Amino acid sequence: MTAIKRNLVRGLIALVLVFLALLAFTPFLYMCIISLTQKSTLDLNFAGVDFNFNNYVRVFKNLNIARNFLNSVIVTCGACILNCVICSMAAYGFSKKRWPGRDKVFALYLATLMVPGQVTLIPVFLIIKQLGLMNTHLALMLPILNAFGVFLMRQFMMNVPDDLLEAARIDGCSENRLFLRIVIPLIKPVIISLTVFTFITSWNDFLWPLVTCTNQNMQTLTLAISALKGNYSTNYGLVMAGSVLAFLPPFILYIFLQKQFVEGIALSGVKG
Amino acid sequence: MINRRKEAIQGILYVLPSFVLILTFAVIPILMSGFFSFTQYNVMQPPQWIGLDNYIRMTKDPYVKASLVNTVIFTIGTVPVQTFLSLVIAAVLAEMFRGHFGGFVKSALFVPVIASAILVGTLWSFLLNPRGIVNLILQALNLPAVNWLGGKATAMFSVCLVSVWKNVGYFLVIYYAGIMDIPRSQYEAAKVDGASPIQCFFRITLPSLKSVTYLVVTLGTIWSFQVFDLVYNMTGGGPGTATQTLVLTIYNAAFKEYSMGYASAVAMLMFLFVLLINAIQKIFFREKEV
Repeated sequence: MTAIKRNLVRGLIALVLVFLALLAFTPFLYMCIISLTQKSTLDLNFAGVDFNFNNYVRVFKNLNIARNFLNSVIVTCGACILNCVICSMAAYGFSKKRWPGRDKVFALYLATLMVPGQVTLIPVFLIIKQLGLMNTHLALMLPILNAFGVFLMRQFMMNVPDDLLEAARIDGCSENRLFLRIVIPLIKPVIISLTVFTFITSWNDFLWPLVTCTNQNMQTLTLAISALKGNYSTNYGLVMAGSVLAFLPPFILYIFLQKQFVEGIALSGVKG
Repeated sequence: MINRRKEAIQGILYVLPSFVLILTFAVIPILMSGFFSFTQYNVMQPPQWIGLDNYIRMTKDPYVKASLVNTVIFTIGTVPVQTFLSLVIAAVLAEMFRGHFGGFVKSALFVPVIASAILVGTLWSFLLNPRGIVNLILQALNLPAVNWLGGKATAMFSVCLVSVWKNVGYFLVIYYAGIMDIPRSQYEAAKVDGASPIQCFFRITLPSLKSVTYLVVTLGTIWSFQVFDLVYNMTGGGPGTATQTLVLTIYNAAFKEYSMGYASAVAMLMFLFVLLINAIQKIFFREKEV
């Protein structure tokens, strides 16, 4: 009796969970389906509707989507590489080297984590402008870098035993080789997590590109979607086609690197 | 002695690139924001010191007032709901569905997290269109259609709803990791003593997750102060000022009216609130440890 009751409860809860999962996922399915139609209504009546890739052809041919896509890829890849290189170097300097003022400088890094990006938007914009970097890919990458990556990698690098490094030194391993050949391979998991985190932040970034990309040719895909929605608000299929293109790269990565994704994004919780 | 010096130089060289960037894009900017907030600055002419004028102007600005009221409403509308939902789902998954099914539910709920707020806003403004799917479902259930993004109260409600929809998966993952850190032996001991799953939840899970809950609530509250993409794309702050936010006010003042000084003052106000929330969290944490 209780076993039946327990199974019934379990089944009901499972049903609720399925409903929630569908609620989270089906809007994206809807987005994909609408992107294949030229419907002028938003309903689910597909009688006599022709499914084709015309919207995709159109965003590539008549609109600048290919260029936007390329911009997003360049900026995101650049930000990921820069972030990993610079943060891992800094983490090494903070965790494995002793130098005067080290802890004070690290405390300053941590303090900057308390400042939301929107608070410093205006001065960062003015600095980028002063440096002549407006409408460049570099301008879109630089502010993505922050102390969070340094903090994360330092935590991880502290666990690399000093004895190991000392042994390699005695064997005549140079300092840079030590860093590249011993430390970096040991912190691979955190590098992947930081890459995923940076990828999502950079790919989905909106406010910063909105401010720095005044030139249409430099706009990222996320900006393009917003513009698409503004200019073609009733051409639903077209807007959804652009959205699918913006959604696919992170989604495909998510499918392949699910565990790292969840870890990488959950890690950002530490940031708050 | 020479070795010491060599080590120090190496250490500094490794840190240097990040130091230059942090200094240029974080430390100097916050000082500049503070300075600009006391000036009148339109980028064309050099900043002019005007003392507290920007801050006085802020107290009379209907947009700032609306932003603050909306932030409070948004916080109340999202934080409790998303915290409750993510906690309950995480607890149910950890207690009953640790296998593939649970993994599938978690993966599905995480999909909205990886999409950009712009994409989510675009998608949902179609779903919430007066003739969109949501209203069609309501009509099928014999309920009246709602002008979701057009009405003052419903626009705010819609933005909260979409925000919760997007963020539940994120907090779910944080809670789930927190529950996994609780030693299983505690649950086993409770079960031996005849405790029901619900008792276990209130006596073991919930108290053990105190620090995670602080994190989730603090993060959610700080995010409420940072809302921009979603409202920019879904409502533009309207109708009227119904969904106006602080960041939207900063953006409009700085990049539409070129009042960099005034926008900086609003930014400093936002910074103050974020610091305050952080401080409150710290106090709570300390109390817990004592």
